[in-house]
Amino acid sequence: MLKSRKVLYIILSVLLIFTLIMGGCSSTKSGSNSSSSNAPSETAKKVKLDFVWFTDGVEGKVMKEIIADYQKEHPNVEINLIEVPYDDLEAKLKTMITGGKPPALARVTNPGAFASAALELTPYLGDKDTFMSQFLDGLKYYCIVDNRLIAAPMEVTANGLIYNKTLFDKAGVKVPQSPDEVWTWDEFAAAIKKVMKDGGAKYGVVWDFTPHRWTTLLYEFGGSIFNQDATDTNINKPEAIEALNYFKKLVDEDVVAKAVWLGGENPNNLFRSGTAAAHLSGSWMIANYRDTIKNFEWGVTYLPKAKIRSSVLGAKFVMAFKNSGVEKEAGEFIKYLASKEIDDKYVRESLFLSPRKNPDVTYDFGTEMFKVFSNELAVSPPAASYDWSRQDIIPKFTSDLKAAVVEVLQGKKTAKEALDHVAELAREAIKEAQQNK
Amino acid sequence: MGKSYRLYKIERKIIPYLFLTPNLLIFGIFVIIPALYGVIYSFTNFDGLSKMDFIGLKNYINILHDHLFWQSFLRTTIYAIVVVPLIYIGALGTALLLTQKIAFRGIFRAIIYWPTMVSFIVVGLIWKWIFGDSFGVLNYLIELMGYKPIPWLSNGFNANMTVVIASLWSRIGFYMVIFIAALESIPATYYEAAEIDGASSVQRFFKITLPLLKPTSLLIIILSLIDAFKAFPLILALTGGGPGRDTTYVVQHIYEFAFTKTKMGYASAMSIILFFVIAILTWLQFKAARGGEIS
Repeated sequence: MLKSRKVLYIILSVLLIFTLIMGGCSSTKSGSNSSSSNAPSETAKKVKLDFVWFTDGVEGKVMKEIIADYQKEHPNVEINLIEVPYDDLEAKLKTMITGGKPPALARVTNPGAFASAALELTPYLGDKDTFMSQFLDGLKYYCIVDNRLIAAPMEVTANGLIYNKTLFDKAGVKVPQSPDEVWTWDEFAAAIKKVMKDGGAKYGVVWDFTPHRWTTLLYEFGGSIFNQDATDTNINKPEAIEALNYFKKLVDEDVVAKAVWLGGENPNNLFRSGTAAAHLSGSWMIANYRDTIKNFEWGVTYLPKAKIRSSVLGAKFVMAFKNSGVEKEAGEFIKYLASKEIDDKYVRESLFLSPRKNPDVTYDFGTEMFKVFSNELAVSPPAASYDWSRQDIIPKFTSDLKAAVVEVLQGKKTAKEALDHVAELAREAIKEAQQNK
Repeated sequence: MGKSYRLYKIERKIIPYLFLTPNLLIFGIFVIIPALYGVIYSFTNFDGLSKMDFIGLKNYINILHDHLFWQSFLRTTIYAIVVVPLIYIGALGTALLLTQKIAFRGIFRAIIYWPTMVSFIVVGLIWKWIFGDSFGVLNYLIELMGYKPIPWLSNGFNANMTVVIASLWSRIGFYMVIFIAALESIPATYYEAAEIDGASSVQRFFKITLPLLKPTSLLIIILSLIDAFKAFPLILALTGGGPGRDTTYVVQHIYEFAFTKTKMGYASAMSIILFFVIAILTWLQFKAARGGEIS
C-alpha cells in the first residue's frame, strides 16, 4: 500500500515536470503550426506581414483603415498590426531581430539604430535621391544610412509654442500673427511676465523636460550638437554656453516654470490645467489638446527668435527588415504607404504634419496651426535635423546633457563646466560610433 | 526486503529533487542563466543588439574612473545608511506596540502591513501625488493655510527625504510582521522571572527582548540593506532620479547605461560590482553577528 503510494508520487511528479517542460515548449510550436497550416488551406500564396506599431494618438485607427483598404486590393496579403508601447519599441525590435525573427515592418523614430537589419528599399521606392527629394531635406539623414535607403518618412513633427489664448487675451497680450512679427526672446519673456501678472497664469512656459526640446534654444543661438559630419561636438562652443545661460535666466525669472525642469511635473498636465501661459512642445500635441482641453482656448504661435529662428525636426518612419521571409510584400506595402495620396490621408486624419515639401494638406482641425509648425521647420537650420538623425551617437549622452542643464539650473555648475563634461562624453560616443563602423 | 529497501533509499534521494525541479527550472531560467550571461557580458562591449567583442577587464577599469557611477554609489550608500536604521527602529517599534494588548490591534497591523502589498511603482505615484510641487496634496494644504509651497521634489535634499519617507511607508509593515512573529515566540516566563527580580521595562527590553531578537534583527538588517541598494522602481515613479541626478541611485544609473545608452556590457560590469558589494556587506554582517547566534 505504502509502496504503491510512493510509485504514484513518482509518477505524478514526473508527469508534473513533463507537462511544465512541454507547456513551455509547446506555445511556440503551436504558434508556428497554425500560421503555416493556414497558408495552404486558403489561397496558395497568402502571406502574413507582422507590422510592429506604436500609437500616440489616433493614428493607429487610421493605419488600420489604410491596411483594410490595402488588403481589399491585395487579397493575398494579411497585415498584422502588433501594437507595443513606444518605450518598449526599441527593446522589442532588438529582441525580434537578434532572435532571428524580425517582423516584416515597423514604425520607428530612428531607422539608423536598425540599419544593419534593414531591408534596402530602392527596388520598391526607386532611386534614393529622387525618392527623398519630395520630402523635407532633413529627412534624408534618417532614411539614407551608409548609402542605403532603409526607411520611408510617414510624418514629421516640429517643436513649437502652444499658448493659452484665454490667459493671453485676459492680459491683453497679442501673439505674432505672421513670421515677420516674431518676438525676440526678451520680448517673449516680457509678454509671459505680463500674462502671469495680468492674466493670472500661475506658471510661465512649461518647457518639455527633454534634451530634444531644450536644443530648440541651442539652434536659435546658432549652436549645434555636432559639427557637420558628426566627427566632433559643438556642445561646449560659446553659442551653446550662451544658450544655456539664457535658459537659466529664463528659469530663474520663472518665465520657464521650475516645476517641470526641477520638479519633474508633467508639462502636459500643467498646461491642460489652464494655469500655464504656454507650452514649449511640438506639433504632436495638437490632437491631444483638441480632445482634452475644454475649459479654455488655446492656439499655436511662432517660437521667439534669438540669432536665428529654429525648430527641431522629428519624424516617424516605416521600415522593413531582412530575413522576414516576406521582404517583397513588405517593400510593396511601404511603397503604397509612402505614396502622396495615402500619406496625405494618413497625416490628415491623424492630425500630423506632412513630411513632404510644401504640403497642401487641409485638416478638419487646426490647419492654421499646422501652417505655423511647417513654417518653423522651413526656417530651421540643417543642424537641427542632422544632429538628431545621428541616433547611433546621440542617445549615448543626451541623458547627460539633460542632467547638465539641470545642474546649471540648480547652480551646482557653470554652463561651461557642465557642457565641457557633456562634450567629453559626446567625443567618447563619437569615437565609439566610428570604431563600430 | 533488501531490494525494496534499496529502492526506498533511491526514492529518498530522488524524490526531494523531483519536487524541487519546477522551482529550480524557473529560478534557473529566469535568474541563474541571465546572471551568468551578465557575467559574460561584463567582459564585452555588447550593445544589446549585435556587436559583442571580448574586451577583457576594460569595463571594470573604466568604472574605476567613472565618477558618476561612484557618485550614485555614494548616494545609494547614504540612502542605505539613513533608511536601514529607520526601517529597523520603525518596524521594531510598531511590532512592540502591536504585540501589546491594545484595542483594534488586528486592524492596526493590517493597516501598517497593507502598503507592502502595493507595487513600488504605485507607491511612488501615491507619494508623488502627495509631494508633487504643483499638484501635490501637501503643497495644496500648505497654500490653503497661507504659507509658501515647499519645493519637495525640485530641491535635492527634500527629494531624497521624500524617497526615504516613501520607502519607510512601503517597507516597515513587512519587517514588522517578522518582528511580531519573533516577539511572540519569546517565552513569557522570561519576562515574569525578570519582573520578579525587579527589572524595569527598559532593562527587560535590552536584556531579554533585544538579545533574543538577534537572529531576526540580522535577517532584517541584511534584507533591508539589500533592498536599499536595489531601490529603483519606487524612485523612478516618485522623482525620476531628479532633480538632476540628486536621487539617481546606483540601479537607475545601471539601467540608464543598459537601456538608454545601450551599453549593455558596461552596465553588466557595474551590476557585477554591485553584486560583490552587497555580498561583502552581507558576509560582514553575518560575521559580525556570528550568524545570529544568541550569546
